[in-house]
Amino acid sequence: MSIRKTLLTATALAAAMGTGTGAAWAQDSITIASWGGAYQEAQRKAWFDVVEEELGITVNEDTTSGVADVRVQVASGAPTWDLTQQGNAGCALLDSEGNVEPLDESILSIPGIPDEFKGEGWISNLVYGHVIARNDEVFPDEKPENWVDFWDTEKFPGPRSLRKSPMYNMEVALLADGVPMDELYPIDTERAFNKLREIRDDVAVWWSSGAQSAQVLQDGEVDMAGLWNGRAQALTEEGAPISITFNEQIVLADCWIIPKGAKNKDLAMKAIEVMSRPEVQARIALFINYGPANADAFDTGVIPEDVAKGLPSHPDNVAKGFYLNEAYWVENLDRLTQEFDFFIQE
Amino acid sequence: MNDVTKTTGPANAGPDEAGPQGRDHALPISVRSLTKTYGAFHALNDVSIDIRNGEFMTLLGPSGSGKTTLLMVLAGFVRPDNGSVKFGEREILLLPPHKRDIGMVFQNYALFPHMTVADNLAYPLKLRRVGKAEIRERVERALDLVQLGGLGDRGIEALSGGQRQRVALARAVIFEPRILLMDEPLSALDKNLREQMQFEVRALHDRLGITTVYVTHDQREALTMSDRIAVINEGRIQQVDPPRKLYERPETFFVASFIGETYRLPVEVADGKASLFGQPVRTDSPLGSNAARQTLILRPEMLHIDEGAPEADENQMTGTLRQSVFQGDSIVSYITIHGDHEIAVRSQHRSDRSLPEPGSEVRLSWLVQDTVILPGDGRT
Amino acid sequence: MTAADHQPDAPMNERALDRQARAEQRNLMALSLPAFILVGSLVLLPMGWLFWMSIYGADGFTAENYTRLLHPSYKKTLITTFELAFLVTGLCILLGYPLAYLASQLKPRMASLVLLCVLFPFWTSLLVRTYAWLVLLQRRGLINNWLMEWGLIDTPLKLVHNFTGTTIGMVHIMLPFFVLPLYASMKTVDYDLMKAASNLGASPVRAFWQIYVPLTLSGLGAGVILVFVLSLGFYVTPALLGGGRVMMWAMQIERSMAVYADWGAASALGVVLLVMTLGILWAFARLTGAIGATEGK
Repeated sequence: MSIRKTLLTATALAAAMGTGTGAAWAQDSITIASWGGAYQEAQRKAWFDVVEEELGITVNEDTTSGVADVRVQVASGAPTWDLTQQGNAGCALLDSEGNVEPLDESILSIPGIPDEFKGEGWISNLVYGHVIARNDEVFPDEKPENWVDFWDTEKFPGPRSLRKSPMYNMEVALLADGVPMDELYPIDTERAFNKLREIRDDVAVWWSSGAQSAQVLQDGEVDMAGLWNGRAQALTEEGAPISITFNEQIVLADCWIIPKGAKNKDLAMKAIEVMSRPEVQARIALFINYGPANADAFDTGVIPEDVAKGLPSHPDNVAKGFYLNEAYWVENLDRLTQEFDFFIQE
Repeated sequence: MNDVTKTTGPANAGPDEAGPQGRDHALPISVRSLTKTYGAFHALNDVSIDIRNGEFMTLLGPSGSGKTTLLMVLAGFVRPDNGSVKFGEREILLLPPHKRDIGMVFQNYALFPHMTVADNLAYPLKLRRVGKAEIRERVERALDLVQLGGLGDRGIEALSGGQRQRVALARAVIFEPRILLMDEPLSALDKNLREQMQFEVRALHDRLGITTVYVTHDQREALTMSDRIAVINEGRIQQVDPPRKLYERPETFFVASFIGETYRLPVEVADGKASLFGQPVRTDSPLGSNAARQTLILRPEMLHIDEGAPEADENQMTGTLRQSVFQGDSIVSYITIHGDHEIAVRSQHRSDRSLPEPGSEVRLSWLVQDTVILPGDGRT
Repeated sequence: MTAADHQPDAPMNERALDRQARAEQRNLMALSLPAFILVGSLVLLPMGWLFWMSIYGADGFTAENYTRLLHPSYKKTLITTFELAFLVTGLCILLGYPLAYLASQLKPRMASLVLLCVLFPFWTSLLVRTYAWLVLLQRRGLINNWLMEWGLIDTPLKLVHNFTGTTIGMVHIMLPFFVLPLYASMKTVDYDLMKAASNLGASPVRAFWQIYVPLTLSGLGAGVILVFVLSLGFYVTPALLGGGRVMMWAMQIERSMAVYADWGAASALGVVLLVMTLGILWAFARLTGAIGATEGK
């Protein structure tokens, strides 16, 4: 009796979800893990809903806290995630470790996504930038517009904030020292650290989370900072006197990987394909201050022009900056983090 | 009483004795009009008392009587509302405790648990900047004085109750104070040890000749040890007298009933003559009051059952024997006086004497000099 | 059955009684079983796992996780960690001892009020308290604003995002851990001992140092150990108030996980912290034990 009743309920539920016959519904779902919070909510509205409708499947959600999760899942032999969001560096690292499924050629050949945004087993979906933000009340007229200005403590006095990591800081130090954007890699670390040393005493806060970078700007603890554009723009929208420049921005992206051995690998591939299309990609900009990874998304007309101009992946903005070299950091992050930790404690 | 109480005044401490040398051994204490209230409660109510040089004075009273408060005022731990306390000629009421230079033994000994026995004894000497060699010597002597020689290196925890008591005593006198205060120091000891220590404390006092103020609620202890006893009740001094006089000549009902067992019988007084149920009662001193209704104080051991007529120096009364109980060494007779007063009389058993029949009339005699009559009916 | 049933040559009950006694003991031991299982599964097992991960990597046994700690960066962090722990402990003593003393001397009602104030931070989230300090101490925070308004300073003081701010925040958080055991031991001090010291001629100051302080050493020691050990492992407050440049050992552990995603490196750091902490506890026990031994000599 009770078994039959349970079956009935399950069938009814499946029917209500519009996923076709009750017998097949368990097959037709995938689990996606992303960063959670407002970020994942935007992804749900922009992408996951579309995937569910288009493929007639259910997208279950989970959250990840980084590459370690993926390693553990793959090592267990039966990953519970079919698709996972990671930073590009994480994707490249997992790919090099053999922890991801290679992507279909059809996905990697999707037009509009630049080569910097994909590897054999990963593809970017969402773009953000590391930019200069400054307090307009402190600098009402002339503002720091590039990293040379950021380093100029005579012309622009006041405390600054930078990320507590060698990543980004090595690059911007070299820019401040006059190295052109296309000659940064491989990084001359000694030169970078020497340049960083010049500004170290003016860096009041080495931020370690996005929230912290926004908070020190908002509280006036620092007058300028290098931080993720979304965080700074959120402050601007709240009415804080903060502005950003995409000049010399570092173009960064998050990406999809399919953990090695994922149960619904094929469905996951299909989901990536759907979410990488320009018109689907474009939707993300409607829900959060991050841009689509597919440049063709800007030609779909989905994104209003004024919104598009504020996105780091807008072709104009990309042209002002440069792509982070993920491969370099996969190689050097560990070593340089130790050096950097020593440097800030000196 | 025993002979210890007869040894009054400072003993002669020769030059070889452990006692202080080359200075006055003791100071008299003069307390005037001391008052201390806690809210509506009078802990001390206009207390005045003189304690003589070298005297062993005991403050005796029930708990809450004010005896400990008085001691604490002397030590400087309680600030009175008003009054004066002089050690010798010096007013000390405004001096902080550490400048009063008096020894004190606490009820729970208050030995420093983080110091050895020797360190405890040396502590007051160190505070007085006595040289190291002299400290060692005096600690040795003090330990010998209280028969604890060789135990200097012990921790306090390793000592028995009696040993702790002795250490506390030695510590209180090692710096040669001229006044010693003791706050129920023996109350934590068992009965045998307590009796032994009573002698030792008294002997120490006699040896050092130090003015001692001793607080206790134990009347027997007070009687055994003291030169004089001050009985305190409800913040007032009731009577200050040597033990024997206090016992035999109580001046208040409280003193009479607090010390020893007493019976009270109503007497009527007219023209300076007292009579008990119509029978005259003689006293060896004039009555203190002319009030008509007064009270006769009797102690069981003063009474004896008499078959003949009263002797010249005796008072007598009659009563009805209700019951006699044979207890081996003694016989207890329960006697009803004048219908509604019951008295128990203990008499020695003698095989040549038979027990009176219950219901028979007996006569009770007591010495005229033991007769105490206090004004009032004794109901307070 | 009557006593007459007893056979003179029947076996006595020695063995049965012995069995019974042992069974009783076994049952008593069984009571501690849940605790053993709990400690075993929740403490010993994970610790063993931690140690295992620190020495066994993908390529078998390795000392790599420990040799990488030779980098000067870790030495710096170690020094910072101990400096901060010592400083916080010292300040807790300076602030907490008078506070605990005050509470122990007050009437019960006032004492519980004071203790309530001490305890109050316990009921607030650590994060909230830390952010509260940020609000007070930062460049445009309350304290700097007041000082500038009153004309006491021209440029804001650097009170936070450095060692100073971290110390202030940590002392605030640690103070209850220090005051409570100390207060407990102060309450057990027999006040007659202070009277005795005074009576023997010790001024209040002397009596305090020579009698009171030694008698509260056990509570003081407990507080010091609590604060010091907790400080060694502190993470949130230095992370938020240190401006990134105050690197604590626990932050290195987190960094190993978050940045390198490396369990082995993090485990090695954890093992090192554990060993150092145990070493300090051992040294402290030896030290206080030695003091105790000289006392009782």
